[in-house]
Amino acid sequence: MIAVALLLAQSASPAVIASGEKIFAQNCSVGYCHGVAGAAGRGPRLRGRSFSEDYLYNVTRDGIPSSAMPAWKGRLKADEIRAVVEYVASLASATESAPPANPMPPGVGPAAIPKFNGPPEAARGHAAFFDPTRDNCGVCHAVGGRGVAIGPELTARALKSPAELVSAVHAERSRHVLTAKLTYGQEFPALLAEQSGSQVRLYDLTSTPPVLRTLARSEVASLSENSSWRHEDFVGSYKPAELEDIAIYLRWAATGK
Amino acid sequence: MRALLACGCILFCTMLAVAEDGGTREDWPHYGGERGAWRYSALDQINRSNVGRLKAVWAFQTGKVDGGLNATPLVVSGVMYVSSSWNRVFAIDAETGKEIWHYFYPNPREIGIIYSPWTRGVAVGSGRVFFGTLDNHMVALDQKTGRELWRIDVEDMRQCGCNITGAPLLVKDKVIVGVTGGDSAHRGYLTAFDVQTGRRVWLFWTIPGPGEKGHETWESDSWKHGGGSTWLTGSYDAELNLVYWGVGNAAADFYGNSRKGNNLYTDSIIALDADTGKLKWYYQEVPHDVWDFDAAYECVLFDAPVNGVPRKLLLNVNKGGYAFVVDRTSGEFISAWPVADSINWITGVDAKGNLTGRNEPAVGKTSLICPSIGGGRQWNHGSYSPRTGWFYTTGIEWCEDVTVTPEEPKEGQNFFGGVFQLKPPLHGPPGGHLDAYDPVTGKKFWSYWSKYPLLASQLSTAGDLVFTGDPEGSFFALDARTGQKLWSFPTGSGHRGSSITYAVKGKQYIATPSGWGSALAGLLPQLWPETEDFPAGSTVFVFALPPEER
Repeated sequence: MIAVALLLAQSASPAVIASGEKIFAQNCSVGYCHGVAGAAGRGPRLRGRSFSEDYLYNVTRDGIPSSAMPAWKGRLKADEIRAVVEYVASLASATESAPPANPMPPGVGPAAIPKFNGPPEAARGHAAFFDPTRDNCGVCHAVGGRGVAIGPELTARALKSPAELVSAVHAERSRHVLTAKLTYGQEFPALLAEQSGSQVRLYDLTSTPPVLRTLARSEVASLSENSSWRHEDFVGSYKPAELEDIAIYLRWAATGK
Repeated sequence: MRALLACGCILFCTMLAVAEDGGTREDWPHYGGERGAWRYSALDQINRSNVGRLKAVWAFQTGKVDGGLNATPLVVSGVMYVSSSWNRVFAIDAETGKEIWHYFYPNPREIGIIYSPWTRGVAVGSGRVFFGTLDNHMVALDQKTGRELWRIDVEDMRQCGCNITGAPLLVKDKVIVGVTGGDSAHRGYLTAFDVQTGRRVWLFWTIPGPGEKGHETWESDSWKHGGGSTWLTGSYDAELNLVYWGVGNAAADFYGNSRKGNNLYTDSIIALDADTGKLKWYYQEVPHDVWDFDAAYECVLFDAPVNGVPRKLLLNVNKGGYAFVVDRTSGEFISAWPVADSINWITGVDAKGNLTGRNEPAVGKTSLICPSIGGGRQWNHGSYSPRTGWFYTTGIEWCEDVTVTPEEPKEGQNFFGGVFQLKPPLHGPPGGHLDAYDPVTGKKFWSYWSKYPLLASQLSTAGDLVFTGDPEGSFFALDARTGQKLWSFPTGSGHRGSSITYAVKGKQYIATPSGWGSALAGLLPQLWPETEDFPAGSTVFVFALPPEER
């Protein structure tokens, strides 16, 4: 097994291993993960251990479910993952202790936040939609795999004009929102999440983020149309121009245009 | 039999009579015992004279050993509540060890962030059991049945790179919880939820936003991802109605050139109005942190004379290895003293609380910094005994090579600004110790040395005992006045959690989590290669005196 790993390591070009070393240092050594040169951390030691190259590649690309090991596909390019694999394979013959940490020249570091690849108006709307410094749209709506899918899918609506989306946000009523009345008198605006057997699960929309409440069916006196909930009350931090940006972003997310 | 019971009751009632304020009695109702975080019990049935005869009475397996068992069990009215890795929550008959219910939270298969899968505990009250999850939700269960009542997605885990591993704190009708994320491109906060409905009642950002006081201590946009996590559990003073919470490091951990300024409220103690979440005062221990030396550990609330004047005080040991003592009514600095010998990141703390001789690691180079990122002490909590008036806490002797590199924040991703490797301390071999201190002056009364860092919390009792466990799996009791070892029991797996004591039907029990795991456990092989093979585990062991000893 060690011999195989060594062969593989030897077959890789020093340039590829060197590039893998750099990528490893910037992504895998950090924090409590695999330590400098694979010396161990929260993640397992990689130095002085032999793994099959296929195994390393699969684990690096896909991660390990139910563990802290993330999938690197989407974060690293395929040839970068390959370089990391070659580098880790090259550590099989390393002794137990890692060499002293090599200083990296200033300026070498992971890339900046990925640039949004839509048009500038959509980028503005995207930033506003997921703005972490306030209660943002993403707290209740998912778009493009981001956000929390509690409220309705929005990209279908975005096909309309920005003005239509803005007016929908300010509409008097939302056809999705119900009023839940509990047998002991409590009442709140709700979205139905799930009904099963003797249970009803409702999102309580009184405050943000919404609360997913699990109730016994016998606790719920009624679920009826809601006439008082206003979407407007929850988008108060967004200026009209920002809502138009968001509409443009949603249209771009739905159509690519 | 009746005579025995009567006898037990007399002893028990006597021991309740000597209970000091801030200590626990039959129950262990909160994470830190009571909410002053003493981790001290007024129970004294088990004491220096009989602890040598302590026997195991039951053990409970949580069934998942990845991440070890880092929790503090709670006991309320004869029922133990404990959470283990991957958010498994159990209610157990505290007398027999029989499970009453369990709840396994459905975590997503991919967590993908570094703060997992361990968890540190639950809060119990208002008929509910509360806990935070590895995917950044808060959950409330029915205390009797374990049925889920509500859950809330506090913030998209993928966006904030944060989650909840600390135990919540229950204050009146609110459950207050902090988040991890200090080593991510993240802006920290502390949040309170209504215990009945789960609705968010207040949120306090640990980094002030535009227009708020303290915002000027951040350069350009660095406040948006400057860390300041609240990853452990705070304290509460009911008389002052203040919640105290320790705030974590600034991010990026090691690279500070893009966040010039003091970086409030990172590495600070914050005192918030419990009802509104508004800031009453703060005390920053480490302005502009470039070492990852959080002030996130416990806030011990105790009263003691300072220069002959009785004061209400707060003690917080930070990751840099210094205990800071402040007036908890105002945040006024009182004193600071070290809990480890191997410290070179500063030369000391002056009489006004200012750090002297800051030794900042140079960018683009490798520097030897002591203690290591693991801390002059780890997060596991110390204990304050009102009987001795001493504070019992651990210290670790080790250093690290830090290589600092400039780093741009990537939303929700790790944000360290460098790498580190553990190194031996400045003098002597690496290791750990448990010490007894005067909490105000830092005068040391005794030390118990250990080959490996001691990574479990301390429990002190009115029986004048201090309990803790070590990485090799030994759970042991020391004489609180001398540090002499009086009893030990091999649990078979290392200790990273927090032991407690409680009583059921007049009988005192000692309980300890046993289960090696966590981020730090994973780092130890860099200095102690043999620890790589230390067995994982996840078991609660419970001990009591044999019947004839009571």
